[in-house]
Parts: sequence; structure tokens; C-alpha cells
Amino acid sequence: MKRYNYLKGLRVFLAILFFVPILLFFVDFAGVLPNDVHTLLHIQLMPALLCGAAGIIVFQIVLALLFGRIYCSVICPAGVLQDVINRLFCIGKKKKKGIRRFKYHKAANVLRYSLLLITVVLGIFGFMGLAMLLDPYSNFGRIATNLFRPVVMWGNNILADLLMKMDNYSLYHVTVSTVTASGLIAAIAALLVFIVLVIFRGRLFCNTLCPVGALLSLVSRYSFFRISFDKDACTHCGNCEHTCKAEAINSKDLTVDTSRCVDCFNCISSCAKGGLQYRFKPFSKKEETAVDTIQATGKDNISYSANSRRTFLATTATVAVSMPIVSVLADEVSQGKGHRERKRNRNCNREQWPPITPPGSISLERFKDKCTACHICVVRCPSQVLRPAGLEYGFDYMLKPRLAYVSSYCNYECTVCADVCPTRAIMPLTKEEKATTQVGIATFFINRCIVKTEGTDCGACSEHCPTQAVHMVPYEGTLTIPSIDPDLCIGCGGCESICPVRPMRAIIIKANTEHKFVEKPKEEEVKKVEVDDFGF
Amino acid sequence: MKRRDFLKTSVVAGAALSLNFEGLQAALITNTVAVEQIPDMVAVMGGEPEVMLDKAIETLGGIGKYVKKGQKVVIKPNIGWDRSPEMAGNTNPKLVKALVQKCLAAGAEKVTVFDHTCDNWQKCYETSGIAAAVKEAGGIIMPGNDEKYYKEVSIPNGVNLKSAKIHEALVEADVWINVPVLKNHGGAKMTCAMKNYMGIVWDRRFFHQNDLQQCIADICTWQKKPVLNIVDAYRIMHQNGPQGKSAADVAVLKSLIVSPNIVAIDTAALKLFNQVKKLDMEAVSHLEKGENLKLGSTDLDKITIKRIKI
Repeated sequence: MKRYNYLKGLRVFLAILFFVPILLFFVDFAGVLPNDVHTLLHIQLMPALLCGAAGIIVFQIVLALLFGRIYCSVICPAGVLQDVINRLFCIGKKKKKGIRRFKYHKAANVLRYSLLLITVVLGIFGFMGLAMLLDPYSNFGRIATNLFRPVVMWGNNILADLLMKMDNYSLYHVTVSTVTASGLIAAIAALLVFIVLVIFRGRLFCNTLCPVGALLSLVSRYSFFRISFDKDACTHCGNCEHTCKAEAINSKDLTVDTSRCVDCFNCISSCAKGGLQYRFKPFSKKEETAVDTIQATGKDNISYSANSRRTFLATTATVAVSMPIVSVLADEVSQGKGHRERKRNRNCNREQWPPITPPGSISLERFKDKCTACHICVVRCPSQVLRPAGLEYGFDYMLKPRLAYVSSYCNYECTVCADVCPTRAIMPLTKEEKATTQVGIATFFINRCIVKTEGTDCGACSEHCPTQAVHMVPYEGTLTIPSIDPDLCIGCGGCESICPVRPMRAIIIKANTEHKFVEKPKEEEVKKVEVDDFGF
Repeated sequence: MKRRDFLKTSVVAGAALSLNFEGLQAALITNTVAVEQIPDMVAVMGGEPEVMLDKAIETLGGIGKYVKKGQKVVIKPNIGWDRSPEMAGNTNPKLVKALVQKCLAAGAEKVTVFDHTCDNWQKCYETSGIAAAVKEAGGIIMPGNDEKYYKEVSIPNGVNLKSAKIHEALVEADVWINVPVLKNHGGAKMTCAMKNYMGIVWDRRFFHQNDLQQCIADICTWQKKPVLNIVDAYRIMHQNGPQGKSAADVAVLKSLIVSPNIVAIDTAALKLFNQVKKLDMEAVSHLEKGENLKLGSTDLDKITIKRIKI
């Protein structure tokens, strides 16, 4: 008797509903999708925690408390990606080798809650490295940005070439320019981890490494609706255990570890007898199950593990509750740190200039603390000027995007990166604010400038300056040479991106570690010009 | 005499009587034949872009003289910047539209429009109004954003520039028309017909590295020359060029200059520019360099100019 079979179908349907738009949003290099899709990124738990979006955090906690970790199977793109990998692995295999290859393992509680605790503590002290490396959404973002997107772009180029032969230019050729070595390595590593873990141990990532999964597991173990055995219907065939990606079903003792269950409902589908059901199990019964689990799993593990787990639970639960204020705390801590660093910078060498952070990020320190390097800004930037950094700015800026004026610059009135940033590492800003935010200042090296070294006209920098902060002033003879008005410069990089001098350019943007505001260029009075003769 | 013959004769006679022999008489008197010659340059002032274009092309012998049936035509406007038509950063879309229509009416197989833009190409194409104008007129607007679209050609007569990658639409075209807008320019001092060539090449950095003014003249020596240069001076940008900051940089001159002679047309454009802002010929030295490369003359007295005011 198969009951509740529609649950898996519903889960898959909802997962597609979330996953496909997010995936397309990342690979859409042409800006076809509206920027509103970024709403789906804001409901991701890690970004919500980082920007202190209380409403979303409460919603996710309540969702987990009511229905379990639906988040991990529906909302989280990394979770769905793992399901996709699993599905692809199963293609063409017999059931036993494909779908039914898992078996029950004990929960790696020490590992997962230690990682969660360390991530949170480090986060409070302003070191976001671990959160960045473990956050499932950001990992998905890096995979999509640095691996999937280039593949889509190459596909586009092949199609564009074919269409071009027929004089159809609805598709156009694109160059993959935003993928850096660090981004590529991070993406490949993450994808490999996902593939290997999924093939051998199902959702092990979600139940050991993932801080979001660990956080939700603290709530989901008390969830109202849960999967449990119907002891009368069960025939102890073990199908459910071998189907469970979370390896949370113990078919001998008839227990389901709700803290690890990701609500994929594969087990219910696998059971022909209706031996497993997703149903309302009141709060009181959870003690029993929990005790069951402990007895079942920890027989030879003595009471030590149970005790330590309880301590862990208490600590982590407290931490989880205080999560919304983590970001605020982190802000304060990092502000102090920022002061120290700035002092040090003043004393030390000035050769290595700090990275230029996107307009809206307010300051380098704040950006470091908020950005989890999901790379959505990198893919949405219409001028492809944002590039993930390597280790050149230190470990705490690794993989985070910087404005790299290699061959393009930041569009004068564009605010796309700020619009889409889910962690608010780049704060939303209006066009007017954007056009007056100074992320850096153009610095001119006259001894490298073509006008001086070659004695010929150039002016490429001034040509590209939207505010005419870089303007041409008389030099020798009819020659003109650039001059910079720092009160007008917003550091967009138009000048640097086009400067023809190599290897070192003659005009380079020096980052403001604290962004400043400049005056909008004064509107000149429009003079009416009357000309009624050609002049020749 | 048969009635038919009578009718024939009288029709011929009638036609002959209605002929105007003034020209012939004048020619007989002065002993020279003053056949209406096509001028080297036409300058029009005071009308809307499409009206001025009509007048100019008509004076130059009609579009059929330049675009033949079944030809692949490329129109190369300036679409360099993410600027609306009022800001004069790009060629007037009305002019481009009218020109595409004319070429198609002359029987062109296809009319392609492109530019290697400075700002984001899609934004430039859209904000300039040129993409929409070309589509409305039935032409093809082609991207120029990727090196893939450019093909290496040799520039044997160039001084500094010996070869360049030029947009394939142009390389494959039968004829092309150069349609710049007249602007002040921070680097080249003035951008017009010759400077507009920089939008057909991929690697512009080479230009800036190897004497911008010389390279501009060099690229104009590419063997496939435009059949016409059409200078849009409906609105000109007299300062802060080539991008412009505000409406204060724009002057409305409602003018159009058309000529196959690229150095002469830029010289004329410079003189028109000087009606608004002073700019010395020596500063715009690609004109002189172009003359040295025998691309045309900076001496406007040597050519015939027809001036039309509407």
C-alpha cells in the first residue's frame, strides 16, 4: 500500500521551482533574466544571517520546526545540486547499484557542531573565511559562476557563429573574462567534494561540513512533522535505509534521525508497504525517539557522547538564537580592527595597494566581513569588471570580488552589483549615490605617459572619464596631457582600463579603504549657439 | 502625308518646341559647354537630418550612383558612447535610419550597421537610438564587441600602422558609407570622418601607443575606401568630447556635409566647428598627415563645394 507518494513529487517540483531560476540567474551572461530573481538569493540562510534579515531567519527556523529540513532539499541550491548529481549517477544503473546504495551511519555530531561553533565564533571575531568556504549557497554560486557559466557561454558562441552565417545576430559572441584561477580552483574543489561525497555517502556534506545544515538540524530534530516508522506495516526489508541519502534511517531499530533527514521523501516512495510515514508527531514523542536513537546508536559509545552532545546542543542553541546580532557584533569588532590595520598601512610600504571594493560596500573591512564570495555580483556585472581575488590581498580577501580595471570599468550609473548582493556586503544605493561614491582615486604617473615619453597625442584616459575629473591640459606645442581633479574622481577606472601604456599603466586607481562621497559635477549653463554660416 | 505620320511629326515638333535651349544658347555665346557638374562636396544647413540627406544625395547624383543593386552595404556611424541623441555623443539616429532606407531603396542586398563601441556595446546601441532606427529601416545591426568579429588586413601605405584587424562586415562589404558625428576630442582634438575609422578596428591600443594622429591617417589608407563620408553636424559636441558631460557641451547647428573626399570633408567640418569653438588645424594633425598620404586635400579652394541652405 503506497501512501503519501505525492510528497516526493511535490519536493522535486518545489526544488525545480527554486533551483532553475537561481541556476539560470547565475549562468545568464546576457542579462536576459530580470534582476528581481535575486529575491531567491535573499532567502538563503547564510546571507540572511549575515545581513540580519530577522524575518527570513524566523521563517526558516519555523519552517524547520514545523516540517524539518525542507530547506536542504528545496531552497538550498547546493542541496538540490547534490540531488542532481545523485540522479545523474543513478542513470543507467540497476536499483541496487544506483539508488539503493547507502546504509545507516551514526551522526558525526562532534564534527558538525564543532564546525558550526567555530564558524560562528570566528564570524563574531570578524574572520569570515570558514563561513565563506562552507556556506552551501556560496559554494553553489562559485561552481555556477566559474564552471557552468563558461560552458554556457561557449555553447552560446558556437550557436552564435552558426546564426551569424545566416545574418542573424540575435545571439552574439562573448568572451569569458571573469573566471580567475582562484575562482576556478575553488569551484572545482567544491564540485569534486560534492560529487565524491554524494556518490559514496549521499548528503554527508550537509550533515557534517555545512554550517547551515548543522544549524537547521538543531531545530529539525524537534520538528512537528517528521518521517517515522509504522512498526506494524514495516517488513524490515531495509529498502528505505539503502535509499536514504542522509544515511539517517536505521531499519534494524526502526529509527529516523530527524536532525539529519533532509525531507527528500525517497524512503517513503521506496517502501511498498507504507512502513514509513511523514506525519504529525507531537512534541512529547520526540523525547522517546531521541532516547531511542541514543540507545540505538550509542550503545558502545557510552554516555560520554550523549553528554557532550547535550552540552553542545545547549551552546549551539544559544548561539543560534543570537545569530541575528552576530552581524552587528562582527561589524563592531571589525571596526576596531580596521583602525589598527589602517595605522599599520600608513607605516608600512605603500607599494601593494589594497583591493578596490564595489561601490556600496562602504569600506574594505566591512566588505571583508560581509562577503561570502558567492560571485553573483561577478556574473551580473554588465561590464564584467568584478573579478574574484586570489591570495594577493591576503587570506581574508580570498575569492572576494574586486574592481579589476583590466579591460573594462565600472559603468557610471550602474548599481547592479548592489541590487543583487544577498548578504548586503554591497549595500543598495541609488544612481545618484553611485555616481558620487568614490571607491578610489585616479593616480597619474607622468613619466610613463605616452604624451611625455613619445611626444604624441593620446588622451584615452580623459576620453573615458565620465565626470571629466581626468581632463586634458596644455602641454608642449599642440599637445595636451591629462590632469586629475580628485574632487570629481569616483574611481570608476575608465582611465586605467583604456591607458595604452604597458607593462605598468600611466594612470591607476588607488583604492579608498573607506569609500568617500564627492560632489556631482556642476551642470554648466547651456548657452544657445547661433550659427548661420558654414565657415568654409 | 498619312495621318499617322502627321501625328508623329507634330508630337516630335511639339516636344522640341517645349525644350529649353537657354543652356545651349549660353554655351553658344560663351563658346563653352556648362554641363551641370556633380560637386566634390555638398554642405546643407537648416533642415532635419533626413531632409538634408535627401538634398545632399540628390545634388551628388542620387544614391544609385554610389549603391548598386544587389550590393552588400555597410554603414558605419559613431555609436561609441552610452549617450542619448540629444547629447550628441553618437551619430543622429534619424540620419542613420534615412540612409539605411535609401540604400535599401537603391536595391542593396543588405545594409549592415555596427561600431566598436567604447562603453558597453548593448547600452550604446540602445541609448543612442541607432539599434532601433536600423531595425525600423530594415537594416541589420551587428555586434562589434568581440575580437572574433575582426579580420586581419594589411595596410601597405600606413606609416606606423602596417596591418589591422577590421570588422568582418566591412571586409566582406561591396561598399561602405562613413557616417561620423562632429565632436571635440580630448586625444585627437577633433573626431569626424577620419577618426571614425577607429571604430572599424579591434586593437585601438596600438593607435594610442604609436602616435594616435599618424595611425588615424594610416588606417584611412586601407584600400577599401568609403563611397561617401556623411558628416552629421545636426548637433555637435564642442567641448568635453568625445563623451560629453552635459547639454552645455552641445551646439545645434542643423548641418550636414557629404563628400567622398575624407580629408576635405574633415577640413570643412573643422571650419564649421570653428564657428562655435576655436580649434587650430595644426592641433588636428591627422588632417595634414592624411594629406601627406594623398587621401585628399585640406585646401578647400581646390574642390567644388555646393552649399545649400534650407
